[in-house]
Amino acid sequence: MNILRGFATTFKHLLEEPITVQYPEQMRPFRERYKGRHHLRRYENGLEKCIGCALCAAACPADAIWVEAAENTDEQRFSPGERYAKTYEINMLRCIFCGYCEDACPTQAIQLGHEHQLSFTDRQDAIFTKDMLIDPTAIGVAGTPQQVEPGVYTRSIPDMENPR
Amino acid sequence: MVTAMTKLVKVIIDDREYDFPAGMNLVDAAKQVDVTIPVFCYHPKMKPVGMCRMCLVEVGNIQKDRATGEVLLDDSGNPQIRWMPKLQTACTMNVSDGLVLRSTSKAVDEARRNVVEFLLTSHPLDCPICDKGGECPLQNQTMEYGPGESRMNFEDKKHLDKHVPLGDLIFLDEERCIQCGRCVRFQAEVAGDDVLAFHERGRDLQIITVSDPGFDTYFSGNTTDICPVGALTTTDFRFGARPWEMNSVPTLCNHCPVGCNTSASTRLDRDFGGKTMIKRIMARQNEQVNEIWMCDKGRFGHHFTRSEDRLLQPMVRAAGGSLSRETWADAVAAAAKLLGDANGSVAVIAGPSATNEDLFTLKQLAAGVGSTRLGAWPPTHAGADLVAKVGVGKGTNLSNLGKGDAVLVIATDLEEEAPIWRLRVKTAHDRGAYVVVANARKTRMDDFADAVTMYQTGHAATAFADLRKQHPEVAERLINANNLVVFAGAEGLTLDGSRALMQACANFLIETNHVGRANNGLVGVFPGANAMGQHYLGFSPEATRDIIANPPKVLILAQADVVADDPAAAAWLSKVETVISLSLFDDEATRQAKVVLPVQSFAERDGSYTNGERRVQRFYTAQGPIGEAIPAWQAVARIAEKLGQGKARLSAAQVMNDIVAAIPAFAGCKYSDLAKVEAQFPQVGGDDLYYGGTSYKNTGGLGVQIASAADNGEAVALGDVKADAVKGDLIVVPTVRLYNRERVFQASEAQLMAARVAAPYVEINAEDAARLAIHDGDMVQVSAGAAQPVKVRAHVNGAAPKGTVLLPRNLQQTATALTIAAGTVTKV
Amino acid sequence: MLAEKYAARIDQIFSKYPTKRSAVMPLLHLAQEEFGYVNEEAIQQVAVLCDMDPTQVQSIAGFYTMYSERPKGKYWLQVCTDLACALRGADKFHKELKEHLGVEEGGTTEDGLFTVEHVMCLAACDKAPMLQCNFHFEENLDMDKMKARIEAWRAEAAAEKSGAKKASAKTKA
Repeated sequence: MNILRGFATTFKHLLEEPITVQYPEQMRPFRERYKGRHHLRRYENGLEKCIGCALCAAACPADAIWVEAAENTDEQRFSPGERYAKTYEINMLRCIFCGYCEDACPTQAIQLGHEHQLSFTDRQDAIFTKDMLIDPTAIGVAGTPQQVEPGVYTRSIPDMENPR
Repeated sequence: MVTAMTKLVKVIIDDREYDFPAGMNLVDAAKQVDVTIPVFCYHPKMKPVGMCRMCLVEVGNIQKDRATGEVLLDDSGNPQIRWMPKLQTACTMNVSDGLVLRSTSKAVDEARRNVVEFLLTSHPLDCPICDKGGECPLQNQTMEYGPGESRMNFEDKKHLDKHVPLGDLIFLDEERCIQCGRCVRFQAEVAGDDVLAFHERGRDLQIITVSDPGFDTYFSGNTTDICPVGALTTTDFRFGARPWEMNSVPTLCNHCPVGCNTSASTRLDRDFGGKTMIKRIMARQNEQVNEIWMCDKGRFGHHFTRSEDRLLQPMVRAAGGSLSRETWADAVAAAAKLLGDANGSVAVIAGPSATNEDLFTLKQLAAGVGSTRLGAWPPTHAGADLVAKVGVGKGTNLSNLGKGDAVLVIATDLEEEAPIWRLRVKTAHDRGAYVVVANARKTRMDDFADAVTMYQTGHAATAFADLRKQHPEVAERLINANNLVVFAGAEGLTLDGSRALMQACANFLIETNHVGRANNGLVGVFPGANAMGQHYLGFSPEATRDIIANPPKVLILAQADVVADDPAAAAWLSKVETVISLSLFDDEATRQAKVVLPVQSFAERDGSYTNGERRVQRFYTAQGPIGEAIPAWQAVARIAEKLGQGKARLSAAQVMNDIVAAIPAFAGCKYSDLAKVEAQFPQVGGDDLYYGGTSYKNTGGLGVQIASAADNGEAVALGDVKADAVKGDLIVVPTVRLYNRERVFQASEAQLMAARVAAPYVEINAEDAARLAIHDGDMVQVSAGAAQPVKVRAHVNGAAPKGTVLLPRNLQQTATALTIAAGTVTKV
Repeated sequence: MLAEKYAARIDQIFSKYPTKRSAVMPLLHLAQEEFGYVNEEAIQQVAVLCDMDPTQVQSIAGFYTMYSERPKGKYWLQVCTDLACALRGADKFHKELKEHLGVEEGGTTEDGLFTVEHVMCLAACDKAPMLQCNFHFEENLDMDKMKARIEAWRAEAAAEKSGAKKASAKTKA
């Protein structure tokens, strides 16, 4: 009797569709909050959100982020306010994708995206530089650095909200 | 200062009883017993003003019976305390007998919360981009005492200018300023340069400077240290790194004889090839040397260590005449061969930034090849041997000079030659010390003097010897002073004239019994960081003079940029058959050398200097290596090893052990001894950012002061003063400017101080100028002695005495007169 | 140069004080009289006279509202809007005055004649609303009275101007 019950289970599953997907030809959808590779975001006008504060690097438990900052001018503006990231690098071999950098960021510049297919043949390739991390600008929007009118972008954190 | 005489009073802080010397500030007293009273405007080095209200505490008094003086007790047997009805600012109160203080209570906590909330009403949320973020007292105290939320309306924040340059070195962010006035008070009370002030009032109150150039002082960097917010930041470090990313390495300033203890904040950097790089230099507390201050040259003068002109590899001149890259082994072998073949005709000239270790190994190398000709560069200041005899006593601290004491500053422009000494003599003057300035011309020090005596250019020694006749009242004050410190330079003097002055000073000190005691004695205002080390290790300017007169076959130049300093150097250097150059830079002497060995600057190595007060201090490796450069002592030791003089030492510490064994003066100066620290007052650094600013705690060692002969009880004899002066219608006096175009400052000039380094000029007296038909701003040609004439701009500002022209050294690429000489000035 | 032009007055000012530094405020008033406002040149000259750093002089000029660091009109109208005056309609008066002259707060009319700004109590509460014109009080004001005063000032300025023109024409001739 028991053996029949066992076979019943087997046959029942024979008729079901398989759960397995043919990766990489087929991809499963991601959860919205999946933490994959990082992106550096831009504002709609093309300026970078990152202000080079290095709080992400400070928050990083794996010491994977390296930031060097420099000063904006109105002739060569990368981000609003006075400061921008001259160097921004993430060592993907070190990164543990915990998302603390995203939490620490005061301008929501760094966000973890959905890409997860990271493979390298060289340690050097695992270091993602700012050029690789930063989002491309929308069509018709100038990239950085931009020349802007003096006195427009004086603040690093444009929308200051009452902390809740 | 606590002495046995100071009356102690009983004070109760947070229910515990302590004894403090009467008159001590409450914040300081609490700090000493580890009770934190948070402050913004109060600073232990300045007078309290009670502006920020952060230090509000509950204060009361133990009640005593008026008739009997007995302490009144309450029902339960405890002393009755009458509390003051309102909170008091601790910073404006001193300890007194029976005072009771509560540093935490509901009322105090609320007061602090309200003060912080109010300070933050218009403070921007800049912390992520602020250079102070991470080491900011306002940030810390907001976390500690502030409210979690603000009741203020964010839209109503006051927006002000965020990017105001105060001069070229300091940036002001008006929004961040909390109007504590520390910077304004520092400039007035400590530095003595009144160039900062408040403008407008109320919420519009802002710091301004209208001096020309803006923020015209040599001490501006200190204001960024003591600023409790990020309002004042330096141009040099602007967005350089976050404070928590950096390591602080104890190091020393190598620009002048003060020997300021500094701290190099270092971090790896892409701009420096991924190596450790000095991002900024800050003061490190050493109350006996520089307190917690340093000058802007020291703070911003570190760029030369990464200069493009640094020598990167050893080079040997081929037979044909061109220098070619060699390995260290080949270069060392070439140098050793040249020295071995010299038949003892060897001499060394060592520059002012060579360390004790470098000098000792050079001395040994020379001895090994049969030479004792050790010259100190530049050969301008004699009398280091007299400083070793009657120099300031062990334990001297200029901060202890006050009422009843005296300071004499003679033949030196202390502000330009040793700014921190100028600052400390100024504060001694404020405390009541009698300050006398003697010079042939007006100097900045005059502003802080009780008496200014002028003498004829070049006659410092005779003028000083005649002081008692010429200015009896001044002499009287000096003779009768409880403590007397003499700062003697060599401005307007020949080398012999300098010796005569030093001898005259020594004689005066011996005669008036101002030797062999702390806070008494002679300080030589010598060039460079290690002139006293040069003396103790056998290098003298007289030997340099002899080397110039009788050129040796082989001359070793150790970090001595002779061609840039001395217009005659090209001529005398050409008489030397072979030059071996140990240098940081690709300089003119290097271009004439047979063997060129690249050496490391203070940043990339460890070592020790002996400062003007004979304090041996050590510095540590801060920055990553450059090219193949190695420490000078190592290069020299390898040559010695090649010559069979024994194995090269492995570390600077071992060399110091050899020095200690060989030279009695250095007894007790092993590296472990130099690294000893003890508690200093005020307790600055560490977590105490709110209290003293961001100056670092001293973890690298306070150094050891070499005892003078007088300290050791040796008899010090008077010497003959052989005055020596130059005669002529017009005498050219070389002067020193702090900001100049020396190799070690060019990189900083290019980077951020271009506007501060004066264009080459000569200062002429108005009468002389009229006689020569020269006007202020004319281009003139100055020739002095045998030196090549130079073309510079004439200044007629009243700074030069009649018959004298002042020609600052190192303001242009070609050398100008190194020592005083008769000369001519003609209009071109 | 102030030092040469007003040598006697400056000596007289200095004679009233123990140190030169103490004379900085009357000298700033003198400079303001001369230049119309406390400009950079005034600061430098007063600093030299008082033997002070120019920064300190600027600080004093900035602290006191009686010194103006911006150019002002010929008639500098300071309307008191403090409590006592406000209760008698000073706010309204101030607003109407600005509208009448067509200037913003602190602004100067296009002809360079009038500058209007509000100030704290001028100690004439019993005669509110009031204003101070070039340190002289105009009291118990209303707009009608004010309009008349303004016309009078305009006439005065025009007369001075034509007088000056005539004078210069004369010298030319």
